Amino acid sequence: MISLIQNETIKILRRRRFMIVVGILFVIMTLVSYSQYRQLRESRNENWRAELQERIARYENRLRRGRMNESWSRSMKAEVRRMQFYLDRDINPEQPTAPLVVRSFANAAGFLLLPLLIGVLGSDIVSAENAEGTDKLLLTRPVRRWKILTSKLITLWMFATLTLLAGAILSYVVSAPVLPARGWDAPMFNGFQFTGETLKVDAVRELPLWKDALIAYGLEWYALLAVAAIALLLSVLFKSSAASIGTMLASLIGGTILTRISPDWTAGKYLFVSALPLAEYYSGQAPPYDGMSMGFCIALLGIWALAAITAAYTIFTRRDVFG
Amino acid sequence: MPTSALAATNLTKVIGDRTIVDDVSFELRAGEVFGFLGPNGAGKTTTIRMLVGLIRPTRGSIAICGFDIRREFEKAMACVGCIVENPDLYRFMTGRENLEHFARMTGTANGEITRVAELVNMAHRLDQRVGTYSLGMRQRLGIAQAMLGRPRVLILDEPANGLDPAGIREIRELLRTLAEEQGLAVFISSHLLAEVELTCDRVAIIHKGRILREGTVNELISSQRTLELRVGDPDRAAAILADRGIEFTRDDHGFLLPLDESDAPPIIAAMTSNNIEVFHAARRAHTLEEMFIEATGGETVG
Repeated sequence: MISLIQNETIKILRRRRFMIVVGILFVIMTLVSYSQYRQLRESRNENWRAELQERIARYENRLRRGRMNESWSRSMKAEVRRMQFYLDRDINPEQPTAPLVVRSFANAAGFLLLPLLIGVLGSDIVSAENAEGTDKLLLTRPVRRWKILTSKLITLWMFATLTLLAGAILSYVVSAPVLPARGWDAPMFNGFQFTGETLKVDAVRELPLWKDALIAYGLEWYALLAVAAIALLLSVLFKSSAASIGTMLASLIGGTILTRISPDWTAGKYLFVSALPLAEYYSGQAPPYDGMSMGFCIALLGIWALAAITAAYTIFTRRDVFG
Repeated sequence: MPTSALAATNLTKVIGDRTIVDDVSFELRAGEVFGFLGPNGAGKTTTIRMLVGLIRPTRGSIAICGFDIRREFEKAMACVGCIVENPDLYRFMTGRENLEHFARMTGTANGEITRVAELVNMAHRLDQRVGTYSLGMRQRLGIAQAMLGRPRVLILDEPANGLDPAGIREIRELLRTLAEEQGLAVFISSHLLAEVELTCDRVAIIHKGRILREGTVNELISSQRTLELRVGDPDRAAAILADRGIEFTRDDHGFLLPLDESDAPPIIAAMTSNNIEVFHAARRAHTLEEMFIEATGGETVG
């Protein structure tokens, strides 16, 4: 099995897919740090409290005016409560530091960027072999098909892990030269709970940044493993790499748009994309549908991943391989 | 009788309501080269894909070196090296990396790579990317790949494809050597009838999913007998042949008689005693091609 995983790893590396993924992350993180750096220089003024208060007021104004859909107003209310909470504690939530960039990468990238990259990486792990005709050799060696698929799944999970790590490391490496590089123990607040209209502050935990980041990254990692499993299924289903990557991107982006546009269609909470931004939900961002607790999201992703893996194995080990 | 290296029994593949391969049985013995001939769409490729486990037969079974490929897939496939259709290898890797990749799958030592590369004369190009190879070189690399792990059965789909005449001859000699000296059983499909005639010991002709003929090349060719006869006065000769009750057909040059060589002397004697000059009387050497076209009802080979 180890030599099979070695084979798959070599193939991914030689196809240069992973290099492209790291390249994309590098470019994005450079832009992010630069913008943060500009923000740091411009907002060095000491009236962040006033600005925060102003923003809260602006949000409340807009909420009072109404005329926005329910999920929008709900997440806006949540944001208001969060800002108020920081204000009360006299913490500037806006001041960028390198550790904060690392922490916020988990949220920002976990929502669409990382799933997309994993999708691109994974969607052709089987279909590329079909397209190039190499499946005929791969499947006529004295190795059972389920072992071949397992080696592909494990390799994909390895690269999903590496992509996440690369994102975390790059976000630090790129931002550390231009932003304050300390502050791993800065307090972070999590566990804001909204029950109807009230913010339950008593459940809020205060964690040092590094611990909070570890949890966020852990959740994101779990979500990415689920994405990888779904990418594997698409890769088995489609014969061409373009079709499987296209379907993966379409379902990620389409699903995300769907959850934002029609929050009233409550069945949408069973889509895997609804549960995908685990790190965001952990940080207090409200999920698009009611009844999506952290446990629900984790279980939902687990079920999707398991179903995808089961389907992928069933199809892959049984199907006839035609030209 | 030598042991059977590969046995296909009553292979049938039905897709939808189309029967692509219909009750095909054959056996491959160690040390022989077996040719599989058929026009396009005859079911050649489907049969090969069933032999190597890519397609599950609707009915029938396949045993390789005595192992059933469904029940003991790993053991059966460990005995086989194959190229199915085109020699598709990973174009973005070098020849050596490709061989290493498949050597790892069979648990073959890396020393084997040099051996198989030298076998097909590819050692000098091994460190270039397969994407830069010509079709002929990919074909050789494909055969090198198939030889990894010292298989006892070699299944090659159109091995002469993309090779120049010298390359074809080289591969033919390699296949003959492997069969005769190392006792490999070699299964090739080909659309080059002359190639099959020169390379193979036995041939099966498949058409519309069924095997029409099977036998040694010599048997198949000599199953038809024709005597060519060229004389000075064809009209009178025709009358003599008719008198003797011999069927004949006339062609541009003379007569074709459904007779053996041993039947020739009395006919020649009859001609000369009637003062008809005999220029030529010989057994016609049949080619596999004629036999093939006759067997498949005149369809082209592909």
